[in-house]
Amino acid sequence: MIRIESLTVQFGGVRPLDALEGEFKAPICGLIGPNGAGKTTLLNVLSGFVRPVKGTTYLDGVALTGLSPARRTALGLRRTFQQEQVVDELTADENVQAIADHICPNRHDAHNEVKSALSFIGLAGRANVLGRQLNLFERRLIEIGKTLVGRPKAILLDEPGAGLNDSETDKLRSLLKEIPGRFGAQLVLIDHDADLIASLCIETMVLDFGKLLAFGPTRTVLDAPIVRQAYLGTG
Amino acid sequence: MTELGKTGAYPVAVGTSLGGALFIPRNVAIVVVVSAVTALIALTAGGFWLSNFTQAYCIVLALLGCALLYGQLGLVSLCQWALVGAGGWVALRVYHSFHPPFVVTILAGGVGASVIGMLWGLPALRMRGLYLALVTLMLAGAFQVLISVTSFPVGGPGFLGQVGMSGNDRVMMARPIFASSDTAYFLFVGFMVMLAIFLVETHRRSKPGRAWALIRKNEQMAMASGVHIVFYKAWAFALSGFLAGVAGALMAGLFGQLDDSAFAPTDSITIFIGTLLGGTGVWLGPFLGGILTRFIPALLIDYNVNSYVGLLFFGMALTHALTQAPEGLGGQLTALAERLYEKFKRRRTS
Repeated sequence: MIRIESLTVQFGGVRPLDALEGEFKAPICGLIGPNGAGKTTLLNVLSGFVRPVKGTTYLDGVALTGLSPARRTALGLRRTFQQEQVVDELTADENVQAIADHICPNRHDAHNEVKSALSFIGLAGRANVLGRQLNLFERRLIEIGKTLVGRPKAILLDEPGAGLNDSETDKLRSLLKEIPGRFGAQLVLIDHDADLIASLCIETMVLDFGKLLAFGPTRTVLDAPIVRQAYLGTG
Repeated sequence: MTELGKTGAYPVAVGTSLGGALFIPRNVAIVVVVSAVTALIALTAGGFWLSNFTQAYCIVLALLGCALLYGQLGLVSLCQWALVGAGGWVALRVYHSFHPPFVVTILAGGVGASVIGMLWGLPALRMRGLYLALVTLMLAGAFQVLISVTSFPVGGPGFLGQVGMSGNDRVMMARPIFASSDTAYFLFVGFMVMLAIFLVETHRRSKPGRAWALIRKNEQMAMASGVHIVFYKAWAFALSGFLAGVAGALMAGLFGQLDDSAFAPTDSITIFIGTLLGGTGVWLGPFLGGILTRFIPALLIDYNVNSYVGLLFFGMALTHALTQAPEGLGGQLTALAERLYEKFKRRRTS
């Protein structure tokens, strides 16, 4: 599971993360906060794109500090980005295969895992369709499918529901719910949709200006006056 | 969760997909088009034109490398023609030292240029766009300076293999016995072009091609997907250099020697323009772009028009390509072929 110890990130005079502490223990965890709270910065630190000035992060007890992003991926850490990253010129199958190539031990395993991931996200029938011909929901699903190959341990999802309508968000919700049980991976979910967070996440961390505002069971956290004031804008 | 779509409900790509769904038609298309064009030229051209088309095919090889870097990774390389020269130098050096079989000489030229391209490219791997273009153009300039001082080996003693001022002791690089005539040599170069296209297409459709596609889309995403950026970029530089080196070796085989003045940095820019005109998304782009790059100047020479007029043509064609047809000539023709193929398939099934 993911543990964060005294994590501080500094960009010039700005501290997007300031002495952050916490441990995500539940199978599905939420990470919320107003814009500029440091949510994506935390994901970038966990996936190795931002180097903290202080502190350490752990994945299943293994210190991630100093490891390259590719090495973290090999250890079982996966992530998606705010803006979906499906390659237009690759088919749905190849988009998922592209990550399996570098993670799965052999071609046979890679092929099977890609097939299983596409089937899980419901796009097995669209495997040969080019990325540019997929709609936004399908592209979001491909992004999730990419994180499922190679036995992931933790999946960091940065606003996976952005731009989706209610029915698509419902489908996404039921899909995400199944991932920990089916793939044995922990989910850490950033989203501005409080309903999605409330219905999916067992525990939630709230950040505000890089500091930990609250952390605990999602319902308790979302009902806390300090969180409602800072994040939801109500007292 | 239920399936969101069914196979065939949406069109799948024929020429542009990296997938294997229509692998056979694409491979057949490569063999048919390259063989037909090569046979047509071999049957109709001779002397001046055959020599020019042989050079054009060598340029196709160089363009394949340039298109690989730009089309797959978005990297602008302006040293491709210098790498052709470097490959030619290594091939001539190996030939005059060891007289190995011709194919070994070609491979040596390819490997030599590949190593040089990679060594120069490695420090520049963190660069993109204009900065990489400038660094690679510097390599092209450095090569011109170096080669104008040292010249290409002509069978003399020592590492540089030079002979006296008179040049009477020059030794020409011999062509292979099976391709000693101009026509046979052109057919041999055509066969090498076909092999090179298959080499590049195999890369594009397999693990490195997918890794390159991720890198081009977003380097951070590629890293998060487990891709080793430096390794795969270096691989692309090496392959691109190899193709340029093979082109240089084949040029050396065509003339028996190489001219120091024929490797100006501006020619590397012309090669890049040819790459854009042909298009980088499909194999047909470099094939047509390479032929055009040599055909237009040769046509002007044949009609006693100053060959610099060719630059005017390339400038106008580039403006058109950049504004109206970014997929290039090859991309446009492939899209047309795809539409016709889909129509033909629908008619057959109905």
